[in-house]
Amino acid sequence: MPVFSYIAYPVAGEKQRLCRELAALEHCQVIPADNEEIVILVTETCNREQEEKLHTRLNKIESLQSLAMTYGHMDGQTAEE
Amino acid sequence: MDITRRALIKAAAASSAIAAAATLFPGVSFSGWQEMEGASGAIQWRKTPCRFCGTGCGLLVGVSGARAVAVKGDPNCSVNKGLCCVKGYHSVQALYGRDRLTQARIRQPDGTMKEVPVSEALDLIAEKMQATIKSHGKDAVAMYGSGQWTIPDGYAASKLFKGCIGTNNVEANARLCMASAVTGFMTSFGIDEPMGCYEDMDHADVFVTWGNNMAEMHPVLFSRMLANRNRKKHVKIIDFATRSTRTSLAADKSILFRPQTDLAVANAICYEIIRNNWVNWDFVNNHCSLHKGKTNIGYGTEDHFAFTDKAEDVSFEEYTKFLQDYTPEEVEKISGVAAMDIKYLAALYGDPDKKVTSFWCMGMNQHTRGTWINNLVYNIHLLTGKISSPGNSPFSLTGQPSACGTVREVGTLTHALPHGVVMNEEDRRMAAEIWQVPVDNIDPKPTYHTVEMFRALDRGDIRFIWIQVTNPMVTMPNLIRYRNGARKEDRFVVVSDVYPTPTTDVADVILPSAMWIEQEGMYGNSERRTQHFEQILEPPGEAMCDTWQIIEVARRLGFEKQFPWSRESYIEDIWNEYIRFHDDPKHRMAPYALLKKRSGVQWPFVDGRETRWRFNPIYDPAAKQEGFDFYGKPDHRAWIWVRPYEPAAESPDSDYPFWLNTGRVLEHWHTGSMTRRVPILHGAVPSAYVELNPEDAAAMGVVSGGEVKITSRRGSIVMTAVINGRGNPPRGMVFVPFFDESYLINEVTLDAFCPISKQPDYKKCAVKVERV
Amino acid sequence: MEKSAKNPRTRWGPAVAGAGVVMLLLAALAGASPAQEDFDQHIATLFNRYDTTSLSYREGGSSERTLEEFYSRRQYPGSPPFIPHPAIEVFGEKLACLSCHGRGGWSQVLQRFAPVTPHPEQQSCRQCHVSVNSRDLFVENGWQSVPAPILGRAQLPGGPPPVPHSLEMRGDCYACHVGTGAVTPIRVEHPSRGMCRQCHVPAGDGRPFTR
Repeated sequence: MPVFSYIAYPVAGEKQRLCRELAALEHCQVIPADNEEIVILVTETCNREQEEKLHTRLNKIESLQSLAMTYGHMDGQTAEE
Repeated sequence: MDITRRALIKAAAASSAIAAAATLFPGVSFSGWQEMEGASGAIQWRKTPCRFCGTGCGLLVGVSGARAVAVKGDPNCSVNKGLCCVKGYHSVQALYGRDRLTQARIRQPDGTMKEVPVSEALDLIAEKMQATIKSHGKDAVAMYGSGQWTIPDGYAASKLFKGCIGTNNVEANARLCMASAVTGFMTSFGIDEPMGCYEDMDHADVFVTWGNNMAEMHPVLFSRMLANRNRKKHVKIIDFATRSTRTSLAADKSILFRPQTDLAVANAICYEIIRNNWVNWDFVNNHCSLHKGKTNIGYGTEDHFAFTDKAEDVSFEEYTKFLQDYTPEEVEKISGVAAMDIKYLAALYGDPDKKVTSFWCMGMNQHTRGTWINNLVYNIHLLTGKISSPGNSPFSLTGQPSACGTVREVGTLTHALPHGVVMNEEDRRMAAEIWQVPVDNIDPKPTYHTVEMFRALDRGDIRFIWIQVTNPMVTMPNLIRYRNGARKEDRFVVVSDVYPTPTTDVADVILPSAMWIEQEGMYGNSERRTQHFEQILEPPGEAMCDTWQIIEVARRLGFEKQFPWSRESYIEDIWNEYIRFHDDPKHRMAPYALLKKRSGVQWPFVDGRETRWRFNPIYDPAAKQEGFDFYGKPDHRAWIWVRPYEPAAESPDSDYPFWLNTGRVLEHWHTGSMTRRVPILHGAVPSAYVELNPEDAAAMGVVSGGEVKITSRRGSIVMTAVINGRGNPPRGMVFVPFFDESYLINEVTLDAFCPISKQPDYKKCAVKVERV
Repeated sequence: MEKSAKNPRTRWGPAVAGAGVVMLLLAALAGASPAQEDFDQHIATLFNRYDTTSLSYREGGSSERTLEEFYSRRQYPGSPPFIPHPAIEVFGEKLACLSCHGRGGWSQVLQRFAPVTPHPEQQSCRQCHVSVNSRDLFVENGWQSVPAPILGRAQLPGGPPPVPHSLEMRGDCYACHVGTGAVTPIRVEHPSRGMCRQCHVPAGDGRPFTR
């Protein structure tokens, strides 16, 4: 049951679009910053397979420049390493 | 619980990201998160007494949005000073079991239950009551409540049944729990409830727990006792019990006695106190009188059993002569307690420089001589004058949150009224005036005590019974008979509860009740403390406060005049009406506004002050005599009773060679209908079990985790054995907790009771134990 | 670590970035409380703990204890955690439990560092801490709590974060925030400064001052 959180950096000027596109994806929860060009993304999937599928989808999002992982949890232990 | 854990992990994930972002972008804010978080600032802490035992811990319930999300101990409550037990900390989870009853249900001709609007169920209840009264008389309808009733619940029930309908068929589960404590107080002091308070624990030098596993049953008080010992070093705790428990292990000394022989040991302690001249003669001469009652008083196992005690005066010489049969050496033979240990106990009680507090609960109350053993322990404290002063306290604990507040103070027992008893004309007149009913409405004759009430239901003398906030189809001793009785044709059973239970299984109508802080109410704890709680949450679905259910039915029966209150203020109005019964310095209650403000207020509440030690003029404004004033009795003296040892109703023999002892565990409260729905409590003790003595187990070839069959003359049960668990019975005894509806140990127990208190003895009957 | 996150050139920032940042943050233990009462009358316990904690323990640390694990043993932030290891019924249980949870350190039996109790004066441990003998439920329960408090909510950049939990029974900061038994993200980086509440004060309920 993987749970991860990231700081998501949008392509310049595309923060609103990034929020919409991330929020439209399954397993994703979005917390936009009020006063900075960043978005927090929390993902929660059921297994590794789903997690990989999600990553494939995330990779296709044009408004997303990059993701920096801040937290990881996999099957009862952290995946911080 | 996995969902909660996931939520926490997700929250941790989000907070990590936010924290990281905050270091990268100082000043960054996430208002969306604040909303989602229900941030700690949004938690509101609301005070309430705990829902469970009679300790009456103050809790602060954390409310976020419309839900209770957390609990902490209320540091302003003098009972627990911020500490709870595991049940209290997780109590709010008991509100959210998925199978909460939210709709009324009515049994259909084919036996199934159908959900209906609550109003329809209330109509049917009123209709059935009227029809039953018409066809079988007013004494064919009954109400059975409990010490979990709030004070307004019990008051409304008493007013409706005793005042309006005119039957004394009102009883409560507390009869099974503390009736012997009440008769003990009444016979020794003429007025109910402890003279001391929990503060005694901070003053005492010696504690004796009489058949009372406080470490599990009253853990917060036990911790307070341990803290006192830790602070003062010289403090001693003596556990005097029939079975070794966590309390025995924490005590400085554990003394085991054979079941029922506490009567003999208590007398032997008095024998020693007199022999060594440790008697406080000033106290005894000025404040005590001596009496004896009937002997060979029976056990009440037969229907229509009746008993009335008769007191005769005796002299101190006669009392001393009576005690000659109870030398420590003789009592050692009966009780198995070494004469040396009896002398040790006597020396502790007799030492004029030691303050002694005795604690007891079900071990002494669930006893076929429950009233007697209560009297005998008071004797010890009276002979030595160790009573009604800080640290000197014979202290009877209660098991239910409002056993004192509702059942004992409001008087929801067949013989009682909110003030006094139905047999007394003046008390009836007072009730009739406050209730605005003709005085003839109140029947001067008590009807059925609890066991006899369920016997009457079985026989058909009672045809309609309304059960609120309790679970008799788990708790009645000799259960099979009473369950079959409740299921008979032409018996109409109404059950108000919050979850499905074995009792709702036999119901013809189920009313969904509001639970605990989903309604406003008051409880009264073991130390005369009245504790108010506001409605903090909305009850689910059509769930309704038990008081309001009674009001609705009363109005349908035509008693609008007696039940005129509005939904907005009925609890306050009922409180103001109720305290008119107690408007004298011996029992005055705190005003409503103050109850709302404080974490409990002790009565008697006189001239703005709580009374911590009764009968002592230093603390109690009602006490007028110098030294002490036991004003409950006409002679203003406390009564020392001559009470002999008599054997149990059923003792082990060659066919049934074991004692069966029953009780509770720390994690579960009462029948577990609430605590079993709390994941962590259920996880800790998922099912009932039988504790065996290791040597008995070895002799039978039973290992821990193996199955054994326990059989009595009434029923049998197969369950898992535990050896060297948290409790350890002596050879020849087994112990079974009663919380588990899948293992109904009360199908095995005996419905013998104390002839004076009518409280059954759940601690002693004979069984055989076989390996399966 | 911070560099890579600040200048995100790669599409997938290194996973360690955030974790490292969180570890550096001064933070506080769970508990949702407006801290309406002040338990500083018990602050002597804090001084005492400071005096009796050895330098080596103070400076020690381990990475094994995570916040997820911490919260997974609690029903809500601030509830008493269950006992996650086998525990036999012995007395005094006080001594038995405190032999590991009194001072912390390495447990040979469990091959882990033991966390330290912030309230060793409470002697009846199992009054609140119970074992887990079954993971099944009697019936499903729809209860929900609130998320744990956010770590590091300092008012000013680099400022000392306030204490987000009640100090009731948790007034001994050293027990949970210092040494090998501490949960990694909330371990304090300056354990030799004894008077924690000189800088870290109860968080309050967030409502502004009004006259």
